[in-house]
Amino acid sequence: MPGSRPGVLRGGVDDVRAAARGWRWGRRPLVPRSAEEFVLPTEQPVFPTEWSRSRPARALREVAQKACLEPVFRSQVRTNVEGLEILARVEGPVIFAAHHASHLDTPLVLLSLPDRWRRTTAVAAAADYFFDTWWRSVGSAVFFNTFPIERRGGTIASTPGELLAEGWSLLIFPEGTRSTDGWMGPFRMGAAWLAVEYGVPVVPIAHRGTFAAMPRGQNWPSPGRRQLTVRFGEPLHAIPGESGRDFASRVRGAVGTLQDEDRTTWWESRRRAAQGETPDPSGPEVAPWRRVWAQSESPAAADATRHRAWRRTS
Amino acid sequence: MSRPGFVLEVDDRTPPLVVHEGEGFRLEQFPLGTRVIYPPESLPAVPDVDAAIQHALLNPEDADPLPTLLFAGMRLTIAFDDLSIPLPPMQRPDIRQRVIEAVLNMAADAGVDDVELIAANALHRRMTAAEIKHIVGERVFRSFFHQGLLYNHDAEDHTNLTHVGLTDRGEDVEINRRAAESDLLVYVNVNLVAMDGGHKSVPIGLASYKSLRHHHNAKTMLASHSFMDHEKSHLHHSAWRMGRMLSEHLNIFQIETTLNNDVFPAPYDFLTKREWEWSIKDQASMLAARRGLAVAPSRVKHKMFHGMRAPYGLTGIHAGETEAVHDKTIAAVHRQQLVEVRGQSDVLVMGIPFLGPYNVNSTMNPILATCMGLGYFFNSYRGQPLVRRGGAVILYHPVKPAFNQLHHPSYVDFYDEVLAESTDPAVVEEKFEQQYANDPWYIHLYRTSHAYHGVHPFYMWYWAAHAMDHVDDVIWVGADRNAVQRLGFRAASTLTDALEMASGTVGPDPTISYLHSPPHLIADVH
Repeated sequence: MPGSRPGVLRGGVDDVRAAARGWRWGRRPLVPRSAEEFVLPTEQPVFPTEWSRSRPARALREVAQKACLEPVFRSQVRTNVEGLEILARVEGPVIFAAHHASHLDTPLVLLSLPDRWRRTTAVAAAADYFFDTWWRSVGSAVFFNTFPIERRGGTIASTPGELLAEGWSLLIFPEGTRSTDGWMGPFRMGAAWLAVEYGVPVVPIAHRGTFAAMPRGQNWPSPGRRQLTVRFGEPLHAIPGESGRDFASRVRGAVGTLQDEDRTTWWESRRRAAQGETPDPSGPEVAPWRRVWAQSESPAAADATRHRAWRRTS
Repeated sequence: MSRPGFVLEVDDRTPPLVVHEGEGFRLEQFPLGTRVIYPPESLPAVPDVDAAIQHALLNPEDADPLPTLLFAGMRLTIAFDDLSIPLPPMQRPDIRQRVIEAVLNMAADAGVDDVELIAANALHRRMTAAEIKHIVGERVFRSFFHQGLLYNHDAEDHTNLTHVGLTDRGEDVEINRRAAESDLLVYVNVNLVAMDGGHKSVPIGLASYKSLRHHHNAKTMLASHSFMDHEKSHLHHSAWRMGRMLSEHLNIFQIETTLNNDVFPAPYDFLTKREWEWSIKDQASMLAARRGLAVAPSRVKHKMFHGMRAPYGLTGIHAGETEAVHDKTIAAVHRQQLVEVRGQSDVLVMGIPFLGPYNVNSTMNPILATCMGLGYFFNSYRGQPLVRRGGAVILYHPVKPAFNQLHHPSYVDFYDEVLAESTDPAVVEEKFEQQYANDPWYIHLYRTSHAYHGVHPFYMWYWAAHAMDHVDDVIWVGADRNAVQRLGFRAASTLTDALEMASGTVGPDPTISYLHSPPHLIADVH
């Protein structure tokens, strides 16, 4: 009966449910795709992050990463880390440059680093995404030691240059945003420019499987402990007189070669690189679904491809 | 910065969208791919309204400054738009008050004694003293109303009408005698939508039935594509002929104002925002409003909605020669309301709000709801209609067969007698119009009470003639089935049902456009 108490209550519950679903309560609001070009640039409040590199915050982060983040991460995915030995040959600070396919990329790289490096690495994070509310800002700073970078122009509280000067290594995703289909996009010049300007090496990082495990739009890894791989490459130094643009292109090429190496072997990838036949990390120009399809397959588990020296007899 | 209007394509990220339905609104989840036409955001208001008014009066278009037209001993008449615009009524002070006060200040400085103010209500109901006071303000009201110098136009007072002549098409031009015989007629307009203003002001607002019948008829309205585009509207062509003839006999100083899209006051302002941008507060306001409306008695709901006063801001004011002024006015209206749309669709969806021009402080009866949906909203286009010929229109409104006996007495008979016989505008016109137009009781109520003229429901029906001719199916969601049947349409419970019913006309997978209004918009359909 319209207007009766049960009807009114039920209507209220239905309205709340519809609002919760429609406006994604508890999750990041989304703009309909056709309205994206009309979204006004908002003046984001700049949340300072200097505090997150203080001694107490570092202690707190150590607990957060080792006692919370790492157990949860390891419980959800399996990882295979290669190439860490190159870190023995460089002194900090460095810029870690990785392609970006998933929110898993950051914990994957950070938790793969030796403790000494992990504790002194700060992560560049989009100001408009990770620093739009105080709680998101604090959360990401505590867990990942993030600092804001502006993707749309504007001012930010602390600059990456200052951090490098203070001895912090940086983890930067030069694409500026996560890939929509798992393949690599063009690299912006920011990381390369910083390396040129501050004379620090860039360590290229390639990874596979993060898109398959947790693509855009998903806020928790897919079930089944998907396999992730991460591979650290030889540090790259800017050649004297090399522009940021050229260096960025070289870094992207190195990441692409590393991906090829991770997919095949070091020797095969080296030979292909020498002949200029490294597969394009941007992926093939085929229908969008085929691009996503190809990337939605997790890499094979390391155990399955391990070649045994001795045949198992029993 | 105000963002332009645009066409949203509903996708999986789109939240439920607001659809107005009388004294309430619902949140509708439209099918994926539905095109939603959003109006431009509200333009910034003129910061100094008084300075803008002074500038317009002192620097008119193709006319001498107003002070030079005023002199001692002259007869000055100020006519102004009635309460049918703007919608909802404007928060005090109404823009007409500010303009009229500025004109009167200049008249006082020039030593003008003979001043009368006339509400140009044509065949609309007489406004009450309170309604007039809201429009003109306390100072003007106190100075003129009780002296009998501020009053409603009476289109049936034949002693106070003047037949000025015939147009080259033989159309009678008969208007208010005082206005016709004044040395200067100042018309103060609020151009809420593109159909208002220009030569529609004096030749229609101050006219009689004898004059109005030439363009307020089924044939003219059927040929007005649309009546929101005065260059393509036969209604306006006729009014323009009359206006040009009048301008040879009268000295008219037209003042036109345009408003922004600030339609809803707080806390209902969430209704003008784009849904995906609703803040937590907006969502809470929506939920509170929905629950409040669900439990409120209908009288409280009516009071809540009709008590709204819009915080409209002035976007422009132009004065001087009617056509020169109107060109600038239309440009300002288009700046605020025009939205580019590519192509037509099979189905057009529209939510009818609680208010139209003819139910201010009153009830939106089934005929007025039809006029709003198939008249005003359907015609809110330029170029071609949003829906293809032979398509379907889906409207949201309760369509309760409830009438305000004080304001709409002839509507009751029109609903009971005329529509029971035919819903074809041409048939209705031919068989019944004269009877209602000349009915002495309706004329008496129009002149002495607050009733719309006896012929007015016919005009509302003609307003919908173009839409009725253009589409093959009209379905009302959430409407009273018997009332809708009387109107010649069909009723559905939900949008899904309505689309299912329309599938016989437009197929099972039609293209859909939803006109997200109010605020007002004009779809510029290419």
